This record gives sequence, structure tokens and C-alpha cells, in this order.
Amino acid sequence: MADRRRVNGPGSSTLPPVYDDGELDAALRRQRAPDAIRPLYLKTGVTPSASGSAYLEIEPREGEHGSGMKLTCTVHGPRSLPRSAPFSPYMVLSTHVKFAPFATKQRRGYLRDSSEKDLSTHLETALRGALIADRWPKSGVDVVVTIIEGESTRQDAVERRVEEWDVMNVLGGCITVASAAIADAGIDCVDTVSGGVAALVASKDGKDASIVLDPVALEHESILAACCVAYLPNRDEVTNLWFKGQLPSPASCNHQSLVSRAVQASRGTHGLISASLSEAIGSTQN
Amino acid sequence: MANQQTLLSPAELAYLHSSLSLSPPIRPDGRTAKQFRPLTAETGILPGTNGSARVCLADGTEAIVGVKAEIEKTVDPLGGEHYQEYVKSASGAGGGDAEEDKRGARGEWLEMTVEIPGLRDDDAGTVFLAELLREALLADGEFAKKLWINRRFHWRLYLDIILISPPLSYPLPLLSLTTHLALLSTRLPRLKSEGDEDPMFDDDWEASPFLYPRQGAAAGSRPPITLLVVAVGDSILFDPSKEELAVADSALAVSLCEVRTQKGDESMEVDSGRELRLVSMRTVDPPSRLTPPGVPSTGNFAASGTFDPSSQKKQQQQQQRVEEYPQEGVWKAPLGGTRFAVLDSIIRAVLEKGGVADEVLDGLEGVDLS
Amino acid sequence: MATDILPSLAIPGTILGPASKYASGPGTHIYGGNIVSSLLGNVNVTAPAKAPGPTKRLNKITAPSVEELSTISVIRRGRKREVLPDVGNTVLARVVRLMPKQAIVVIQQVGDTVLQTEWQGVIRVQDVRATEQDKVKIHESFKPGDIVRAQVISLGDQANYYLSTASNELGVIMATSDVGNDMVPISWKEFKDPDTGVSEPRKVAKPS
Repeated sequence: MADRRRVNGPGSSTLPPVYDDGELDAALRRQRAPDAIRPLYLKTGVTPSASGSAYLEIEPREGEHGSGMKLTCTVHGPRSLPRSAPFSPYMVLSTHVKFAPFATKQRRGYLRDSSEKDLSTHLETALRGALIADRWPKSGVDVVVTIIEGESTRQDAVERRVEEWDVMNVLGGCITVASAAIADAGIDCVDTVSGGVAALVASKDGKDASIVLDPVALEHESILAACCVAYLPNRDEVTNLWFKGQLPSPASCNHQSLVSRAVQASRGTHGLISASLSEAIGSTQN
Repeated sequence: MANQQTLLSPAELAYLHSSLSLSPPIRPDGRTAKQFRPLTAETGILPGTNGSARVCLADGTEAIVGVKAEIEKTVDPLGGEHYQEYVKSASGAGGGDAEEDKRGARGEWLEMTVEIPGLRDDDAGTVFLAELLREALLADGEFAKKLWINRRFHWRLYLDIILISPPLSYPLPLLSLTTHLALLSTRLPRLKSEGDEDPMFDDDWEASPFLYPRQGAAAGSRPPITLLVVAVGDSILFDPSKEELAVADSALAVSLCEVRTQKGDESMEVDSGRELRLVSMRTVDPPSRLTPPGVPSTGNFAASGTFDPSSQKKQQQQQQRVEEYPQEGVWKAPLGGTRFAVLDSIIRAVLEKGGVADEVLDGLEGVDLS
Repeated sequence: MATDILPSLAIPGTILGPASKYASGPGTHIYGGNIVSSLLGNVNVTAPAKAPGPTKRLNKITAPSVEELSTISVIRRGRKREVLPDVGNTVLARVVRLMPKQAIVVIQQVGDTVLQTEWQGVIRVQDVRATEQDKVKIHESFKPGDIVRAQVISLGDQANYYLSTASNELGVIMATSDVGNDMVPISWKEFKDPDTGVSEPRKVAKPS
């Protein structure tokens, strides 16, 4: 029995026409050099109520309106642990990564799904290595990263099923923005950790593969493998490594070059964080 | 992770760390650096599933994996279920090019849950484990294609991992090996229908093909295995116990899959053709970062005498000195990350020909698949 | 003094100088023989309290000790940074609850810094005063609402910092009477309400 009290939509769904262009148009192709990372905008101290905060925006590709990734991070604490928590000689770090419901093409719910929890665990590993946790005994810190706009807001990202690779970029962004926010909060760290992503992409004919920094999955025919690192540049150490994908069989040393390229990408990001942070203290002085 | 807390004192931690850093390392249970703990395994234990396995470690921890498959209509995320047909007719592509169509296979068709007693099932650590195992399975993009039936239907595979008792060490290798065996024993009913019509299946379970074919040319890939490797000092240890994990400088979960290359000629020697391929890697947060630090006797004013505020500044300075320069035999939780060289040597040790991974795979091959 | 130029701004990870020349102050740590910044902020170099003179040293070969090095610290100006109570700090705390064997307080200020979050502390009966500890009664020493100057003696258990008022300078510094008037200290163990003239027992801090 149909519902007569409401205006109902048509009984059967229809689809808007989708035109198959055959191949990617030139504007979608990667225009940057293989070893160039996208420009970033990073600002600290954006949330006055938090002890530390940062905002990161990745420049959208040319010819697109507002499709760059946008992230904010707030750091709350150090504050006292709840009474039920056991004694800890260290700072207890908890990380939350959440996509805003409208961040991606497909709406995200308010509850954190498994990929968001997974990202939180990665972020926690990345940050915990950088913190000097024994300077803050008995205290807890919450790091909350919200992805306001994801990378794959466009239709074709969903269509071409590249979201799984975009997660790497999201993690890289999360690490960078959280690192800036922690520095802003004045929590002791051994180094400023920064995230970097590199990917092994196949050319159009699928024959030869090359490594690119800061990959945008949409811009490439196919991604074979990708690697995201959290890197401490002054100590030359990696706090978090995430690699997945399949490497072409003969080159057994490919994982090394992929990881080292990802490290290179995070060095690039680190330059940016340090410039932004120095600017932040420079401006409060005057 | 709460269940990873050990009850070792700082002095014990320091002792363990230095004995594991020796070359060759001295492990508390007397194993060599590359030796696995003994385990028993069996497959096909649950008749109600498409595939199942049980692995029991010598310390009594036990994991059971059940694989269930369900048929599901392929729904395109963009809207109607007829979308694929629609695109097909629009692009004018004729004939059933199955390989081309299988590109539509999605990793979401595999659902994986891990249940660990004593942990909430939405605990970040559990989710991390499930994602880690899932990602290794899907990394090569071949697995999802196995679930493709036709353009309208696919299998949805539920892989449920249950740990019987609270784990005594990081359960990753145990879960991975159990999953590997369960998938090897998984069978899906034989398809009788053709093309894009509603799927019909053969009732005869004996006739059902394995998800990972045993014989023939297709006997190529096998499910991946995930190994947990830790670095302590300069030593690289496989299959760490809880105590070893508690002093680890860094821990890395490495997933690899075995590719059997077919040379095409008659020499089908299985072992020589085995090739290991890295499919995924993740650093695991070592629980050593949460271990309590030791206090050297020079900076310990509880032991050295009474509390004296006047000499306190001096003591604090002394303590700071101590904090910065690690002393032999005084435990201090590791700071910072892992050097690239250490990571690299871990990966090399895993991928080494005739190394641990080969040994584990040989062992798994010895398991009677029913 | 030091010939090499120190950076004026530092972010976590910035190398500030060799550990052989400088001592590590707040906001820094030592890694690989260098003083490395662990905070975002401005670099300060504090000269040693006693000027290093050759006459002070008995033997010139001995390396200069910690006190003779100038201290590098990294402090962010114009921004209050959260601090934690540490062992030895003098804190101001408000009494919230009395129990027969201890008083529960909330720490509100460490040194000169007002805290953002409240940390719970406890003053046990044996830590109230230095003498005649067995005769101390908690309800004759504190009342809920009093402001107490105390010293942190331990990080304590999961919930409480352990505080002590066992010194002349430590104890109740502000108290209100039963009727709600501010009271003035009249002896080492009494506060008096100037309006009603009623005096109440307290562990009084010596006015400074």
C-alpha cells in the first residue's frame, strides 16, 4: 500500500546519463614533476579553545574548484586522566580521525567506521614515536583530526575505485597537521614529524612503472603500490610505515626506493611545517 | 593496547633488552632469532562453513577462523543495479569479456572481523588487526576477482576470526596463519548457470571448487601470510613473545604472498619456483613505549637518603643528566622512530630466500587440508 | 662567550648547540651529543648563576660541571603553556573534602602558573605538620573551601598527588568562617573571624 500522505518519488529509479569519454582528459593528468609535491597551506592556532590546533589545506588541482584536501586538528590537554584510569608514568595519547559526513562523495556516518579507526591507530603510532611522553606523567592528551574535505569528492573517484589509495594521502595529511598542532600546544617532541606519500604508478600501457611523490590516484592510470611514512628528519628515523600494493616481480629492491621516495616527500612537507611554525612564533612576538 | 601490558620491572626489562641485543640474541625461551614457536593446525573443522581452520600455539592460545559466503546483488555505488549493463550498452561493448568485467570487483566484498576476548570489538587495536589482514589479502587485487560471479551477482565473503582465550602475545602471526589455512580450505559451490542470469549452483559439495585452486595451471597464488618482526638493538627477532615485545625498539608487520612462477617447461619443482612478494607492511606501535622507566641509583633519592629540599635542585640536575645519557642496565623506554637501515634489514630478513617465510610456508603446506 | 650563533627561533627537532658547551634547560633534550629543541618557541640562553672563573676550579683539567655551563631553554612567549605539578613544587590548592585520615584538595596553581585543568591531591594526616604528627586531627587543620599552600612530595597514585604542609611556610593561607566571613590568622594554629570574634583551628601558614 503506497503512502498517500506524502509526496512520493517515482516508483522506479532512473539514472542520469553517464558519458563514457573513453580515456582521461588531459587536464586530469599529472602536471607536476614526478618528484614535486603539491603546495600546502598550513596555519596553527586556529581553534582558540584548544591547547593547540592547526589547519592544513592541499592546493586543488588546476581547473578544479575546491577539491583539495582540507584537514583540521585540535589538541586537548595535557589534562588529568579520568579517575578510573590506571597510573601512567607517561602521557597517555589518544587519537581520533574522523571524516566529516560530507567529506567524501559517499556520505560518512557520525560513528567512526573501521577505516577511520585504522587511520587513528596509524596516527597514534606516528605521533607516539615523536613525543617525549615521560615529561608529562599522569596526564592525557587527545588529538582530534577532522577531514573537512577529502580528496575524492569527485564522481570519477568513486567510479574508478581509487579511494583506497587516497587513504594514504589522508594519513600523510593527518600526520602533518597533527604534528603542527602538537607543536602549537607546547607538548615536548623529539622532532617535528611529517608525513609523506610515494607511489609506484604504471604508465598507460601498463608496461613500465615509475615512482611519483605525493600521488593523486585520479591522475594516474593505475597505482601498483603506495607507501606512507611518518618521518623525523633531524633524527633520520621513521615512526610509522605503511606500505601496500604489489611490486613488479623482478626488482626486489623496489620497496627500498619506494620508502626512500616517501621519506623524500615527507622532507618536503617538513620544510613547509617548519616555515609555517616559525612564522607563527615570529608573528606572536611583535 | 591494554592487553599488552607486561608486569616486568625496569630491571628485568633492561636485562632482557641487553640479552636480546647480543649477537646471537639470547631469547628467554631459548629459541633462535628466526625460530617460530611450535603450533598445531587443522582445517575443515566446522562443517557449517565454506572453510575453516584452527591453530593452537604451544602456550595454549588458540584461534578459530570460519569463512562464510553469501550471494549478493552487485549494487553500484552510484545508483541502480543496472548501472553496469547501462554503461555497457552505452559504450557499445559487446560480448562477455569476463576479464574486463571483473575489474568491477570490489574489495568491500570481503568482510573481516576479529574477536579477541577481553577487548571490545570496536577497539582500535582489533580494528587495526582486521584491517591489516584484510589489506594483505586484497593488496594484489586478485582476491576480489575470485568473488565475482557475473555482472549482477557476487559472493560476499565473511571471514570471522575468533581468539579462544586472551592472547599471551601480540596475536598477529597466529591470526594470519589461521586465516591462511582457512582460506586454503575454502570452497565455493560450483556455478551451473551461465552468463548474467540468476546464479544456480551445483548441490554436490564434493564438486565445489576451492577458492584457491589446488591443481592445474591456476594453482598460482596462495593467501598471504603476515609475520611480526621486532628489532631489539641490532638483532632481528621473528615471532616475538610478549616479554620480547615489551622491550622491542620497533615492531613491523610484514605481509607477503607467495607467487609460483610457471616457467612453462616440464620442470615443475615447486620449491624452486616459489617467489616471495611483499604485499603490505605496517609498523606496529611497540608496547615498550609504555613500560615504566628505571631510576638509576645515583638519581634515586628514595633510596639514597631523606628528602632534602635544599639539595633538590642539584638532584634534579643530576636526574636530568641521567635522563639524557642512557646508562647501561637502566631501562628507558625507546624514544623516536626506527632508522631506515633497520627497517630495511627487517624486510630483507623476511624476504630472504630459504629464510623464515619459506620455512613457515613449508610448514603450512604440511598441514592436511580436508 | 659562545662564538657559534644560536638560532633565535626553534621548532621541535632544531639543533641548538653541542651538549659539551651548554646545559639542557626546559623545552630541550639531548640527542646525539647536541642540545635539541623539543618545543616550538624562542631560544633563551641563561648565563650560569656563578660566573665560571679559573680560581673556582681546583684542577683545570676537569670538565666544567653542569652549573658552569650556560643553559639553553626554549620558551614560547605570549602563550601560557600548561604545566604539571612536579615533586618539590609549591602549589596552591583548595580543600574540597575531609576524611579522618586525609584531606582531598584540588591543585589550582603551581608556582606562579595558574593551571588550566584541576589536579586532585591529597594531604595525609602524617604530612600536615612536622611535629607531633600523631596528635594531628584533620578536621582541626583544614575546612572545605580553605586555600592551602603545600609542597608536592610525590606523584602519588593514579588519582592523587601527595602534598605536604609540614613546614612553617606551608598551610592554610585563606579561610572563611562558619558564617561566611574571611578570617585572619592569629596564631600558628588559629584563624579568627574579625566580625564575630570566633576563632577556628587551622594549620596556619606563616604569613610571608
